[in-house]
Amino acid sequence: MEYQVPRKFPTTVVGSYPKLEPAKQALRKIRKKQATLDELRDLFVEAIRGVVEDHLWAGVDIISDGEQTREDMVVYFAERMNGYMPGEWTRIFDNVYFRKPIIYGKVEWPEPLTVEDWKIASSFAEGRPVKGILTGPYTMLEWSFDLYYGDRREAIIDLAKELRKEIEALVNAGAKYIQIDEPALSTRPWKEEADIVKEALKIMLDGLDVKKIVHICFGKIEYILPYILEFPVDQFDLEFKNSNFRLLPYLKEYGYDKELGYGVIDVHTTQIESVDEIVEDIEKIMQLGILSPEKIYIDPDCGLKRLPRDIARQKLKNMVEAAKIAREKW
Amino acid sequence: MVLGAYPRSRLARYALRDRERGTLDFSQYTSRLLIVHSEIIGVQKANGLPIVVDGMVDWHDIFRPFIMRWKNVSVNGLLRYFDNNFFYRIPVFTGEPDPLEPVWLPRIRQFKDLAEPSSLKIVLPGPFTFVNLSQNISDLSKTELAEAITSILKSEIELVKEENVFIQVDEPLVGDRRLSKDDVEEYLDYWNEIASLSSENSAIAIYFDVPQKEVFDLVLESKFKYISVDVIDSKRRAIELLEKTGLPGHVPVLGIVDARRIHEDKLDDELLTMIKKLSKEYQEIVLTTTTWLDLIPYTYALKKTKILSKFVDIVSEKLGLEKRILWR
Repeated sequence: MEYQVPRKFPTTVVGSYPKLEPAKQALRKIRKKQATLDELRDLFVEAIRGVVEDHLWAGVDIISDGEQTREDMVVYFAERMNGYMPGEWTRIFDNVYFRKPIIYGKVEWPEPLTVEDWKIASSFAEGRPVKGILTGPYTMLEWSFDLYYGDRREAIIDLAKELRKEIEALVNAGAKYIQIDEPALSTRPWKEEADIVKEALKIMLDGLDVKKIVHICFGKIEYILPYILEFPVDQFDLEFKNSNFRLLPYLKEYGYDKELGYGVIDVHTTQIESVDEIVEDIEKIMQLGILSPEKIYIDPDCGLKRLPRDIARQKLKNMVEAAKIAREKW
Repeated sequence: MVLGAYPRSRLARYALRDRERGTLDFSQYTSRLLIVHSEIIGVQKANGLPIVVDGMVDWHDIFRPFIMRWKNVSVNGLLRYFDNNFFYRIPVFTGEPDPLEPVWLPRIRQFKDLAEPSSLKIVLPGPFTFVNLSQNISDLSKTELAEAITSILKSEIELVKEENVFIQVDEPLVGDRRLSKDDVEEYLDYWNEIASLSSENSAIAIYFDVPQKEVFDLVLESKFKYISVDVIDSKRRAIELLEKTGLPGHVPVLGIVDARRIHEDKLDDELLTMIKKLSKEYQEIVLTTTTWLDLIPYTYALKKTKILSKFVDIVSEKLGLEKRILWR
């Protein structure tokens, strides 16, 4: 059963979703070393099914597995790749921490890390495409402590070569959309940094017949924008809502013409955007006259993992409704 | 001295968590934090630091302890704090900020005896960084807001001026290489208002990056006796800047222990040469961490404190400098 993704304003998600109860239970057990992920697979299957059901209920066109097995976007990969060791608690905000991993040797991809979850999500997706999503090499390095490489470029390139194997595994499994998350890229908006990422993306994506997406969020994206336009990707998925669409004029200024994941849902507030509000926000980019509706993918700013489930669900539902209205107009 | 807050030990994390959940009463909470702060002060004293911080482990970010004690300001969503995987809550000014109680006076009273014979340092968010990393939805203009914040920061200093503390004003945003002189110029007067309250014992700290020369020239015009520069994050640019401009009329405070990474720092020839050159021009040089230590895990922060102490020994021995001029 193949699902027909709308030609105009397809809707999608960035990836993460609130952890559903079975996933929370399983992650608690894994954290306490009472069981392994494989032993608790059934709980994760249940959680992923719940995420997919929410996505389908909301009517999202291109969905995800909700990253239910990933305690953290960097730690998940680091814990499974050779060359990494677990780190100690490092604060992210307020009294919230993550175990910032440590690179202590040459990084190596051991086996498929996300493919099983992707397959599970696909099995419930009723034909809708499921994004294959992984954390990019730049963010993997930036959000780890490096005790081995010492040279940032060398570490990023090595990570890119290894993560390419994960992408190939996803593509071989049937993934048509590959999204590489690089939130850290917006924090160092220098050309020399963008050049390293461009090189890494070429390594990761060259020759693959898939939709190639890079997600960047929360930072001064306008500073990095002129340097990333030459990246070998089809689409940038960017945050707009949280920064009050500050980025829009820069898209015009720099002649942006790739596909765009257009973030219209603020993932940091529990206030649910109304359908009208989202329609107005879609109008904002259309009024610029730089991209056709076929090139604009409507989605949240970032992953929804920090929101309560009922809020996340309703936000997606309103987003989908707004996209339908926009399709009629444009 | 180290530059700012320490990370939270397990005891601190749990105390904060349980207090937020309402399962720890206030006296239990304060006694647990006292243990944590005492340990941090003790570690600095054991490593010979003559100026110490209390650890500030209860600070969620550089602004929060202030805005929680000011009227007409609240907190909004999270925003990334420079290029770190760390987020602060955006202060939102809805009117003229009005302090209900001071941040530092009670802390100084609590920790002063514990710190002796070392002196305590107070750390204040600088007006430039404060204003520009906040959201202003009040009727105040940006200038009026900067004036109001400066006035409150001055009152923090006034309240502790009898306590023999070292004053540090943090302006990490000044290090943003995209800034021009025009962006920062207005704040020189505010800095000088603050510095004039404690001209012999005050520092301005710039970190995470190295400012443009024209911006740094403005900093050099300030009345802060001590100017702290991060010389590790953009090492080449920092060394070039210090070689080009020097710090005439000020005491260099060199952030040479990397507070954002966990490797064991090395005092290489390039750094030693720079310190040697500076030692010929300046009567006093202070060695410090590149930024606050709270971006790394607790055990590493303790190690970094020891490394700072070791660096003072190395510099003292290799360059024949008296230790007292390398500390503060």
